[in-house]
Amino acid sequence: MSFLKVEHLSKAYSKGAVQIPALEDVSFELERGEFGSVIGRSGSGKSTLLNLIGGLDRADSGHIFFRGDDLTRMRRPAVVEHRRFCVGMVFQSFNLISSRTALENVTLALLFGRVAKRDRRARAVELLDTVGLAARLSHKPSELSGGEAQRVAIARALANRPALLLADEPTGNLDSATSREIIELLVKLNRGHGLSVLLVTHDQSMAESVSHRIIQLLDGRIINEKVQNSTDAVV
Amino acid sequence: MPLFDLLKLGMENLWQSKLRTALTILGVVVGIGALTSMVSFGTGMQKNVIDAFKKNDLFSSLYITPAKIDLEDMASGDVGNLMRSVRTPLTDSTLMSILSVEGVQVAFPEIRFPVKLRFKGRETRTHLQALPVSVGGYPPFDRLQSGRFFRDDTCSEVVVSWNELRELGLPGFKDGTGEGAAAADTLLGCAVEIVSAVLDFNALPDLFRTGVTPTAEIATPFRICGLWKQNNNFTRSQYNSGVFIPLKAAERVPRLSFSSVWDILGRGDGGYPAIYVRAETVRALPAVRKKLEAMDLNVFTLTDELKEIRRGFLILDSMLGAIGTIALFVAALGIINTMVMSILERTREIGIMKAIGAGENEIKLIFFTEAGVIGAVGALFGLVLGWIVTRIANLIANTYLRPAGDIEVDLFYFPVWLVAGAILFSILISLAAGLYPAARAARIDPVEALRHD
Repeated sequence: MSFLKVEHLSKAYSKGAVQIPALEDVSFELERGEFGSVIGRSGSGKSTLLNLIGGLDRADSGHIFFRGDDLTRMRRPAVVEHRRFCVGMVFQSFNLISSRTALENVTLALLFGRVAKRDRRARAVELLDTVGLAARLSHKPSELSGGEAQRVAIARALANRPALLLADEPTGNLDSATSREIIELLVKLNRGHGLSVLLVTHDQSMAESVSHRIIQLLDGRIINEKVQNSTDAVV
Repeated sequence: MPLFDLLKLGMENLWQSKLRTALTILGVVVGIGALTSMVSFGTGMQKNVIDAFKKNDLFSSLYITPAKIDLEDMASGDVGNLMRSVRTPLTDSTLMSILSVEGVQVAFPEIRFPVKLRFKGRETRTHLQALPVSVGGYPPFDRLQSGRFFRDDTCSEVVVSWNELRELGLPGFKDGTGEGAAAADTLLGCAVEIVSAVLDFNALPDLFRTGVTPTAEIATPFRICGLWKQNNNFTRSQYNSGVFIPLKAAERVPRLSFSSVWDILGRGDGGYPAIYVRAETVRALPAVRKKLEAMDLNVFTLTDELKEIRRGFLILDSMLGAIGTIALFVAALGIINTMVMSILERTREIGIMKAIGAGENEIKLIFFTEAGVIGAVGALFGLVLGWIVTRIANLIANTYLRPAGDIEVDLFYFPVWLVAGAILFSILISLAAGLYPAARAARIDPVEALRHD
């Protein structure tokens, strides 16, 4: 049984009477503990693919099997459970709640994960410490740098111990040095903690340097899939 | 999601838009303030009336008349029907029969007629009522303002009502409070004259010439033994006279045999127009009533009236409550507006929450809680506002009542059910107002929401 298996996945968006295909017949697999990257130009369907795997959107056809369960056939509550416990999501624009501190952003995810109140703070502090932000707990997103905000977002994504981290261009808004730090963090989580990662990026060289599997999309279709030995993928 | 977390989250979210939240809560405050002050007026009036009944011992009292009284006939002067409808004349033997009924504690005839009270050269018109000494053991005569009730049924003692002293224009009784209390003690033991009207036989021939019954006045000396103050403005006591003398002493006060239309019921043949009965307990009242009715007596109790009074107050409360509820509904529209605006502003936040694991129910609950918090906080401050408004209104009302010598009253009453009901109602209305916004928030597409600026 594959950890993540995407089969003939298609998704189109309607604009009036016109159907605009975002994904067409996409199929691939990701094994447990793998670092996968989805590359492609803007509008190639990378984010749509991640949203479908993350349970934020519904596919028109095809299947997404996560640890054997078909996400496309799940009822809404099960999809919520999938978002809550199976995957963690990181976005290009960080998507932190601006009125809440770094700590509160993480504890909010723990609250939805039904973590007992007494354990929430300790767990959030531990996560923020893991991403190197132990000293920035009470800072609001506006008081954090881009790299720090993305680290908070990663800590939040890991709050409910997901098996798969979905990162949608997490370095898109960061300078190259900070981008490297974020990618290093993702690799560390993958290599050190066995967390499966599916990274969306348009940076092919970076993807090739860290990924076990690279899927290249163009106009919603996979045009290339490359599997590298673990030794090929370096930090 | 645990309630504590929901409340914390709701309050934190509301705190983000302090001014808008404050204005929305203000709407609820005004709504609840209006609702509670209006309903508290209705409940206050009801409480005053019921309390007055209790203080005057009216719930254990029965009133027996020889006929079913049609007040319209009485008012129009058509007494023919009344006379024809007399069933059982109320005589001394009837009184003895009533006294022998199990559960009857006190029974005495109504002896009440107009007199003048003369004291220290001053005079006022009032009514005299004769009472047995046993009445002094029960409300309202068990607690006189000053002095004591009669020593026995024959003594020449009189209990004078506070109002009559005021009517006499005695210094210290004008305001009916404070100063008069000290002055009252100085009156105890003082001699008064009760002046009653009798037929002037010497002038009887004039009756045929003038058509006016010739009367003369006779003064009977009494001593003041006690002062009685009617303890409520809201009901007249069954003891609605100005002076009270012992039952047997009344025989020494000459009077006209016919002084009011009411005396028709006595029919001038030794009968009484009415008999007052006090049951041993309030519980014993229905059984006593049944036994008296079995004696073919016409019995009236205030519990008959009470049902009508309660119905009347229910209508009053409903009308007042409806007016207040309109204000609360306007506030509910404010809540809907605030919540919808909040959703528009927080669309992205909703998307984020969904992305990190919030389901539709959690989103609904969060917005529901925010609406509920607005309702609860609005209710608490609304109750405070309502209370302040009623205190001010009460102060103004009593400012007018006091100089007139009336007893100070509390026109408003906040029973526990009103306080709890107002809070609950406010929360329910607010939750109802939050239904649509919460459902709308829950339906938001997370992908769209995350793209929202």
